[in-house]
Amino acid sequence: MSGKWNMLQSQSFLECNGRQRAFGLLDEGTLTELAGPRDRLSSPHLPVLGEAIQFDDGIVTGVGLIGKKPVFIASQEGRFVGGAVGEVSGAKIVNVVRLAREAFDRMVSARADLPEEKRPAVVISFDTGGVRLHEANAGLLAHSELMDQFQDCKGKVPIVSLIGGRVGCFGGMGFVAAAADVVIMSQNGRLGLTGPEVIEEEMGKDEFDASDRALVYRTTGGKHRYIMGDCNLLVADSIKAFRTALIEVLALPYGRMDGFRRIGSLEKVRYQLKLVDLCVKLAPKDSRDVWKYAGNENPTAVTDMSLETFLSTVRRLQVE
Amino acid sequence: MRKKLNRLDFEFKADKAKDFPADFVHYGVVGSGDMEIIIEKKPLDGAIRVTVLTPVSGFDEVWRRVLYRFVKETHIGNASIEINDCNATPVVGSLRLRQALAEIS
Amino acid sequence: MDKLIGKGRAAIGMVVDPESFREGVIGDLIITDKDFGPGAVIGTAALGNETCTIIAIDAMKTNRKFRVVYAGIIGLEEAYKMALAVYHSIEADKDNGPGEKRPLVLIVDTPGNAPGKLEEIFGMNKATGAYQLALAEARKAGHPIIALVIGRAISGAFLCHGLQADRILALGPKFGTLVHVMPLTSIARITRLDLEWLQELAKENPVFAAGPDFFYRLGGIEELIDRIEDMRGRVIAHIAEVRSIKARGGYEELGPSGRGALGAKRGGRRMRSEVMETMNKEFAAVADRYLI
Repeated sequence: MSGKWNMLQSQSFLECNGRQRAFGLLDEGTLTELAGPRDRLSSPHLPVLGEAIQFDDGIVTGVGLIGKKPVFIASQEGRFVGGAVGEVSGAKIVNVVRLAREAFDRMVSARADLPEEKRPAVVISFDTGGVRLHEANAGLLAHSELMDQFQDCKGKVPIVSLIGGRVGCFGGMGFVAAAADVVIMSQNGRLGLTGPEVIEEEMGKDEFDASDRALVYRTTGGKHRYIMGDCNLLVADSIKAFRTALIEVLALPYGRMDGFRRIGSLEKVRYQLKLVDLCVKLAPKDSRDVWKYAGNENPTAVTDMSLETFLSTVRRLQVE
Repeated sequence: MRKKLNRLDFEFKADKAKDFPADFVHYGVVGSGDMEIIIEKKPLDGAIRVTVLTPVSGFDEVWRRVLYRFVKETHIGNASIEINDCNATPVVGSLRLRQALAEIS
Repeated sequence: MDKLIGKGRAAIGMVVDPESFREGVIGDLIITDKDFGPGAVIGTAALGNETCTIIAIDAMKTNRKFRVVYAGIIGLEEAYKMALAVYHSIEADKDNGPGEKRPLVLIVDTPGNAPGKLEEIFGMNKATGAYQLALAEARKAGHPIIALVIGRAISGAFLCHGLQADRILALGPKFGTLVHVMPLTSIARITRLDLEWLQELAKENPVFAAGPDFFYRLGGIEELIDRIEDMRGRVIAHIAEVRSIKARGGYEELGPSGRGALGAKRGGRRMRSEVMETMNKEFAAVADRYLI
């Protein structure tokens, strides 16, 4: 077992499956899966449509430790129905967040001066296109429950979004990920609301060519999100890199979380509206126009830069 | 098209069947062209019972051959095998079965 | 028969006390720029003599600054404007007791969130999320939030403008109301499943079918309204009910989680509770290892 966890650390986060990510992000051997494959709580709806099922319905949920901190984790499996959220997988994420908050309430009522290092946390690794169409309505409702649970965690339990999978984080999960306290991405990760094909459909191929991979990554990829301030930490593509960033962030006292958030208060909305004003004023044809405005003289070079160079030289967007 | 999730059931008994050496093992992801497996210890008088859920029809014999070969070569006995398939080829199927066994160590 | 699709402004008048709607003013928020998120109509009105916040969609407006924002689409400006309306409602009543928070009435008629390049660059996901978090905060502070679907309530737009409410009411399907993630035709195309087959299955299975009645069965909508004249009375009645439930601490019975339980009761979402109970039991068995 020990060899396996160690080996996972250097693996590509992108290439790992949802279970490997959950297992490798938390301290070795500490993960207890909840509603794991053994329970066989698969989708009741997919078989009706003749579609294959998965024993864990495409998401690993459970509890583990990082140091003394109980960490409630949800890790999506992007290879199963594109990581899309259905009734069971939706219920799993919603409930793991609720369990985290209830754990906090319980620990604090047992001990009012709960040390920060023991404050429970929520970690969600997103790898999803959003709602599972085969179970559309159930998936949709799960998203609303999740936002409600997120709000309940305010002041209690930090929520960290990790995005580094092949599918990225789109659809309803795009706003869920943004509603977290901290967002950690790799360059491979993408975060948005509407997928590239739908943008192309709406705007035409001349305006947005969904098959132009570079365009898609400029628009929603990790580097772009980092420049925009939507992503707080940009890390290398390995389990260890994500884990290191996670440990760093979870070591901070809860009071520091607000500095990472992008939405969730009047003040944050006012700041976002300044960005919207900028959007109208600048009328960018491409993200590169925004990168240039932010102070990156050679926006084309930004895309090809190594992570190290990027992190040490990039100018992030700031609006007064 | 109209699809159907098919359920296939098989039972095999290997020569010199060895008891499946773990309680429970799970392996794999139900990606396109792939499958996941649960193998669970079960007293079946040395036999292996397999259930496959697959959206593909008409490949019962192919499954039977793959599974029979697996049981014969590994001498595995007294266990149930559950497979969620999403169009895996026999090559992938055989590989995953072996990988599932290798999980126990 | 009268349909209200596209008639968000008219619907406001049918719900609030006559002549009481003041657009663009909520607490100390004053918005006079008619071109700022024109499809989102926010303001203050009287409802049965008490002050309430109105957030509605005017599907007749077009946002000239954002190409893809028209016909009720919620874009960046619209979503943040609606979030402002909520935050200023919270601020205006912040010194009132939880039983005296003004109600928020959401009048829903929107086909979606803005699917545009600019929106993806600047983060439409944040805008729609911001509005949801604001509503969730207001709801938990005691504000009764009632959503009234008068037209289209679709996907991500319904998630931000509607699904965070304490209670969701909808005019019945005979008014042309549409509640879904996407039309069956699109679902059929994307999943590559036979449309006719989906239509057949949809008759019995509410999980992917479109329509307020299906959502009702899933516990996604609390009540279907049969007559336009009844809208005002039902909104007022639900506000009173929500207030008394909150007064006794029954927050879990309202909003998204209340609707989750409703789904189990009405039979449309049965696995949900089994999954949660399993997880709770399994966690209880190991909790001592983690919560020390």
